[in-house]
Amino acid sequence: MLRVLDLVLGYGHEPVVEKVSLEVSGGKFVSLVGPSGSGKTSILRAITGLLTPRAGHVELNGSQESPGFLFQDDALLPWRTARENVALGLRIRKASKITALTEADAWLNRLGLEGFGGRFPHELSGGQRKRVAIAQVLVLKPKLLLMDEPFASLDAIVRTRLTQELLTWVEREHLSVLLVTHDLEEALTVSDTVYLLSQGPRARIRNSYTVSIPRPRDVLTTRQHPSFAPLLERLWKDMFDEAGPARFEAMK
Amino acid sequence: MKLLVEKLWVRRLLSLLTLAIVWELMARFGILNPFYAPPPSEILRVVYSLFAEGRILSHLEATFTAALVGLVIGVALGIVCGFAAALIPLVAELLEPVMMLLNAIPRVILAPLFVIWLGIELPSKIALSVVLVAVLIFFAVYSGIKDVNQLLVDRVRTLGGGRMILLREVYIPSVTAWVLGSLKVAVGFAFTGAVVGEFVAATRGLGYLLQFAQSTYNASLTLGLIFLIMAFVLLLFVCAEAIEHRLLRWRYRGSVEKVA
Repeated sequence: MLRVLDLVLGYGHEPVVEKVSLEVSGGKFVSLVGPSGSGKTSILRAITGLLTPRAGHVELNGSQESPGFLFQDDALLPWRTARENVALGLRIRKASKITALTEADAWLNRLGLEGFGGRFPHELSGGQRKRVAIAQVLVLKPKLLLMDEPFASLDAIVRTRLTQELLTWVEREHLSVLLVTHDLEEALTVSDTVYLLSQGPRARIRNSYTVSIPRPRDVLTTRQHPSFAPLLERLWKDMFDEAGPARFEAMK
Repeated sequence: MKLLVEKLWVRRLLSLLTLAIVWELMARFGILNPFYAPPPSEILRVVYSLFAEGRILSHLEATFTAALVGLVIGVALGIVCGFAAALIPLVAELLEPVMMLLNAIPRVILAPLFVIWLGIELPSKIALSVVLVAVLIFFAVYSGIKDVNQLLVDRVRTLGGGRMILLREVYIPSVTAWVLGSLKVAVGFAFTGAVVGEFVAATRGLGYLLQFAQSTYNASLTLGLIFLIMAFVLLLFVCAEAIEHRLLRWRYRGSVEKVA
């Protein structure tokens, strides 16, 4: 589905990311974790083509459509209503206005935003805006989802609820996902594979971990699975070793 | 039921009314010299007679034509130059120094020059209005485009949008917001340009009348004209605000109850 080979990013003689390779095969949920400033977001931007890599390449197979990209900030167009925002991608793909808006409404309903379609972003709450952003991406039916700490700005309750909803959807539709986060627990809860990125600059993939907890998963009970705690401990330890005590403190 | 006094516009009106009454009384009781500060009733009478005799109409026409034509050309010119400078680096390099210079000086000092170049009729007034407005709008558009939210640009690009889509969905709406934000100031500038232009040299217009009133030491006419110009500019402000609220519905529409 997605293969990143020897990716080098950044300018000057000290690249931000050096020779990063990773793979997301069909229907798998993969997370990329690492300390702040390790270039996680840059890797996602390189995959979508927003950033030109210095070396290495990105292979997107199996899907004609470009991947769906869920941003950290809900970058909705403030001058467009919720439904127009959702319809935007379809309109860009030359769908008729009526088709696009009907489809947008269907997705808004599915995400629990029935009756909110006519509102402008400033008239919605943070959680609602995030739902609109999710609808904006899912309406294009991507096979691959790229997510950059999509729920970081939300409070814990909304965050848990949205993570669960998205996880359920991804499992049902067999979507492939690459999630970038600095939350190790979140990464283990949702993923099949977790990649640990080392401290930048010259960040590399330090290790990868397989999470073989059966699906469908529940965000809350998955953490009580017997294999969860040992994995989390290993992940923390590797991150600790990687960064060294002082840098470890700094990045917390 | 809400008391009338609790409304903001009522209180504002009351404060103006109080000022007028105090002024009127002070003039009547001889505390103010009516030669320098004629009472409001006298000013009203002068304004009324200006309209009753119909003398004012050709002057109004001259000033309004200069201001509105200057406003339209100035806004258009500012938008075109701003877009060009933001999108084409060469244009930016050529335009920016000139605009910076024009922005740094009080642009009304160009009025005598325009009279020399364009004569004492309408064109010199329009030119001054245009220069005042265009520089303002240029910077609104130019910095508006440069400060466009990069997140929105990335968002639209990842949804598959190319240059045209970006222009339509991100740049033009952003710039519209910036331009409309400056529209009220632009209206004021357009009138400043027209009136100051007429002040310098003209045969018609409110500025010309002001100049005439001053040279004949006619304080009531001067004050009457000042109030007249205030009233008209306020009226245009209201229009500009209505346009702003209509086009920026997405910003001003009343906030509704939010549910998580």
